[in-house]
Amino acid sequence: MVRHDVVVVGAGLAGMRAAIEASRYGVDVGVVSKLHPTRSHSGAAEGGINAALGNAGEDDPQKHTFFTVKGSDYLGDQDAIAVMCEEGPGDIYELEHMGAIFSRTDDGRIAQRPFGAGGAPRTCYAADITGHVLLHVLYEQLVKSGVTVYEEWFALDLVTDGERCVGVTAWDLVRGGVQGVEASAVIMATGGLGRMYRGTTNAYACTGDGMSMAWRAGVPLKDMEFMQFHPTTLKSNGVLITEGARGEGGYLRNSEGDRFMFNYAPNAGELASRDVVSRSEQTEIDEGRGVDGCVLLDLTHLGAKRINERLHGSRELAMDYAGVDPIEEPIPVRPGSHYHMGGIDTDVWGHTLMPGLYAAGECACVSVHGANRLGGNSLLETVVFGRRTGAAAAQDVRRNGSGGVFSPSAAAIAERSIGRMLDKNDGERPHVLRQELADAMYDNAGIFRSAEGLEACKAKVEELRERYDRGVVVQDKGRDFNTDLIQAIELGSMLEMADCLVTGAIARTESRGAHSRLDYPERDDEAWLRHTLAFYDEGQVRLDYRPVTITEYEPAVRSY
Amino acid sequence: MKSSYAYYPGCLASLSQKELDTSTRAIADKLGMTLVDIPGFTCCGAGDVHEARPEYYLHLNARILGQAEQLGQDTLMTICNVCTLNLRQANAKLQADPELLQRVNRNLKEVGAASYSGGVDVRHLLWEIAEGDGYEKLKQIAEKPLTGIKIAPFYGCQILRPSRLLGFEDPDRPQSLERIIEACGAEPVDYPSKIKCCGFPIVLARAEVALGELIQPLAEAKEAGADAMVTPCPLCHLSLDAWQSKASREADMEFDLPIFHLAQLVGAAAGLSYDELQFKRHVVKAYPVTDKIYQGV
Amino acid sequence: MQVTLKIERYNPESDESRQETFSVDVVEEATLLDVLDVIKDEVDGSLTYRKSCRMAVCGSCGMRMDGAAVLACKTPMRPLVEAGEVPVISPMGNLPVLKDLVVDMEPFWAKFRAIKPYLDDGGEEPPVKEWRVQQEELDRVMTEALCIQCGCCVSECNSMEADPDFLGPAALAKAARFVNDVRDRGGKSRLEIYNGPHGVWDCTRCYFCNQRCPKGVHPRDAIAKVGAAIYQEGMHSDGGARHAKVFVKSTHQTGYLLETHLVPETVGPVNAIKEIPFALRLARAGKVPNPLKPHKAKKLDEVRKLNKLIESQEQATLEAANAGPTRPPADPAQAKESE
Repeated sequence: MVRHDVVVVGAGLAGMRAAIEASRYGVDVGVVSKLHPTRSHSGAAEGGINAALGNAGEDDPQKHTFFTVKGSDYLGDQDAIAVMCEEGPGDIYELEHMGAIFSRTDDGRIAQRPFGAGGAPRTCYAADITGHVLLHVLYEQLVKSGVTVYEEWFALDLVTDGERCVGVTAWDLVRGGVQGVEASAVIMATGGLGRMYRGTTNAYACTGDGMSMAWRAGVPLKDMEFMQFHPTTLKSNGVLITEGARGEGGYLRNSEGDRFMFNYAPNAGELASRDVVSRSEQTEIDEGRGVDGCVLLDLTHLGAKRINERLHGSRELAMDYAGVDPIEEPIPVRPGSHYHMGGIDTDVWGHTLMPGLYAAGECACVSVHGANRLGGNSLLETVVFGRRTGAAAAQDVRRNGSGGVFSPSAAAIAERSIGRMLDKNDGERPHVLRQELADAMYDNAGIFRSAEGLEACKAKVEELRERYDRGVVVQDKGRDFNTDLIQAIELGSMLEMADCLVTGAIARTESRGAHSRLDYPERDDEAWLRHTLAFYDEGQVRLDYRPVTITEYEPAVRSY
Repeated sequence: MKSSYAYYPGCLASLSQKELDTSTRAIADKLGMTLVDIPGFTCCGAGDVHEARPEYYLHLNARILGQAEQLGQDTLMTICNVCTLNLRQANAKLQADPELLQRVNRNLKEVGAASYSGGVDVRHLLWEIAEGDGYEKLKQIAEKPLTGIKIAPFYGCQILRPSRLLGFEDPDRPQSLERIIEACGAEPVDYPSKIKCCGFPIVLARAEVALGELIQPLAEAKEAGADAMVTPCPLCHLSLDAWQSKASREADMEFDLPIFHLAQLVGAAAGLSYDELQFKRHVVKAYPVTDKIYQGV
Repeated sequence: MQVTLKIERYNPESDESRQETFSVDVVEEATLLDVLDVIKDEVDGSLTYRKSCRMAVCGSCGMRMDGAAVLACKTPMRPLVEAGEVPVISPMGNLPVLKDLVVDMEPFWAKFRAIKPYLDDGGEEPPVKEWRVQQEELDRVMTEALCIQCGCCVSECNSMEADPDFLGPAALAKAARFVNDVRDRGGKSRLEIYNGPHGVWDCTRCYFCNQRCPKGVHPRDAIAKVGAAIYQEGMHSDGGARHAKVFVKSTHQTGYLLETHLVPETVGPVNAIKEIPFALRLARAGKVPNPLKPHKAKKLDEVRKLNKLIESQEQATLEAANAGPTRPPADPAQAKESE
């Protein structure tokens, strides 16, 4: 049993930024993470982080706000978006002061490049390893802060006392055994859930565990049906090739050699919004103008020098995982699930509807991305809202004192449940269900959706949930470093989150942002300019809705 | 193999490891290699100048390469691992960056030294006789095969790693010394630490750590039944030979392993005598093994 | 294609080690990590290893293949299958084994924490906006910044095998990242951390770290950069630095290394005296050159002039680096300074 004022679950960019900020308020902070912090998926982000610094021409936060609102297909909450865009520059400068190694302009300022649908060059970057650079600079600051980190502890359940969140239970992966982690404030920062799809850019660890914990404890999840598909992922294993490749001037070509994007987005071309590009690519592929199920990302005209300086990481990935040197040949790419716009419902300070529970980063939904996220805004969200959430949690603790009562039996209950999992010997192996889920989601809840496909997917998910509840077989019966057990638990999270996603998708009879319905191809603001809320209702998904906050920009036609 | 080389013996072979230089010249003769001395050559800087004064190291090596070029040689031959890595690394940097080469040459010109245009390749003797026509020539001259002698090869670090700068053979599974041992009629002995470090760079500043490293190849070679060891590097030779007694004390094990320089191994197989190869300059007496070689004892 | 692996397993509960052979069918593009996943899913769920990103950026999956550390996710299996090889997979070296291919990374992270792994701003107020830093200045740390802390360099470190307390290539490469960052004001006090008994001078220069690093960090080169900084700041207290000084002085005086000076100057006069019996043994074999008649290179004046010329250039570079980062012209703190 351990105790801290503020406990952060997840140690990626958002989690670490929250922990660092909270510690600045003098409260005692603990971080629980199923991975060592620098293994977090934030490190895979490549292309950059947006902020209206104005280093590549005139810019201001209002422009950034507008393009983000438009990019969200008007589902983003405009007050939240304005906060993110206003505070962004300050957060970028702070990262630089911490030591972040941003690429520079000729006069030594932070360089910025164009990114999809941004309208202006606003994306700050560190070559094409921005996520890696930021993740490591925050880990350095985390070490400096002296905050306690419980690494390789897998958070299992939120513990509540009926009124508020009082902590979590966690499985100590290294030593085995359930630990109680008591807190006055818990910040969820557990990232996304791409692994429920076949063909994802996400790491194995992205399984939606934090969202699942919050949902099961009664906190609603918002806009779950909105899953972003990144246009340029590799066929062999889904690995991401950064949007920065297009930002640096790369072209997308079909089998006929045409830069087809100009047929779909006459102005923005390759730098249209991600959902637009992904749909365009998929259409080209479906209509027979693909090459082996892919389109071609052509960087050959950029030259070796530019590629080695700015896109060195992408080149390595293309060579390692696609067998192609982008200096010589185009890279075959196709859309892959990448980022989840939905998540735990929060306000602009990271509060959820449950006192004592907060959320930030990809696992949260403020909403700043609405129905579709702009490239470069996710890294921004993690630091802005990581900071704000850390501050809010710390200030709440200082103001309100310690929380409620952490039931002494919470850990024992979790222990028994794990024991039951380990005892099961006959039944299915988790990977069988995992593969069926991934295929069903890719086939029917992917880029193009329809009622028929979604209903089939829902039925499949429900069937898989039933099979899972009957018990899957964990072959590793040991308590030391049991990754077989962890993978089985992660599967459970993914099945629940898939249910929330598909249920929301079935209900939303319109196309907006990344949610594209073949049977409802138009956006329907009258009926659907609202957030979906998915509640836990005795194991089932119950939907409700909430209006979108519109301040400046009335929804307009969205074209690029 | 070339017919002539700019010959770079390095510091140790010129002084404390003089037997290496003597043996090299003797076998070069047999192999039909002309070794052209470089009149104004200096130390390559070893790992120490390379680390502490990287710019100075670069210039020292550029000057050496420039001198080789001036002699009309396109290949410089080394007989030391450290010299090989140092010269090859400087060479690679200069050949890849014309602006850098220009800047270095400006400095060289200022002090009156010959400039370098990037036209020299650096090769260790080991590479020249481990394959191709050099290997054929080696087999030809090995008239007195070292039959029945078990030799454990010790590569040392800087003839193998980093392989992108050296690149002669697989750094984890090298075979050049084994091939040469076989060509000389002896039996190569395999053991895991043959590619690990002898500890020489820190044998003075961190004696205990160095001995901890040095013990491994000696003990393993001994346990694998070796009569002697051979190495292409005079620094490794110093460690294995001059420091063998210290390693022995530290490990509480008798090694009694004579250490051959590569050139001595080849020389013995080519019929050169104990004195011609200056075996008496070894700290660990070579004669248990050299007796076997020269007297068939 | 069919892949066969031998895996060194370890079960902490029974304290049992054994080697197990597995053969599975995988796709042509499969990496070592993919093979492990298939084995874990379909054959033996207790096979334990770390993984996350599968794209060589998180650093989780370091392990040995035939004794050489690699990232499992970056190791394609096809070339091995085509060569008919059956590799032996084992955990990384120089770290305690927890289970199967999982090592205890805590000693690794402890060394990371020990090198002051964060920017030292010297307590100075930062500018309102970003420090003005030239791309070439930041390029000096970009190589070390590529490090993903995977441990492959540490796995085969020869010094660490002989001295487990050696800070090691990963921690020292991280140190270099700060030493050469113009925004770091840690100066000599930072360098002192790396100048101790288990610091840079412990490195045996075996270059295994450079050879193994999957990200092109070249840790040995980074260690050398820290060594250079320590040396050029005149911090010559350690025998390692004094050892280097002998090389520099000798090449200046004679063009060659004066081996006889190495021992007394490196280990100090007292220890040198203790080494007299050793030295005598070497002398008997003729290994001690005549200290009174040093061997001198021809055209020595070229070398001496070169040394002095480069030294002045190095000083200039050092001063520029120590001057610290530049404030933006309109920064309020800048205005205060110039008042």
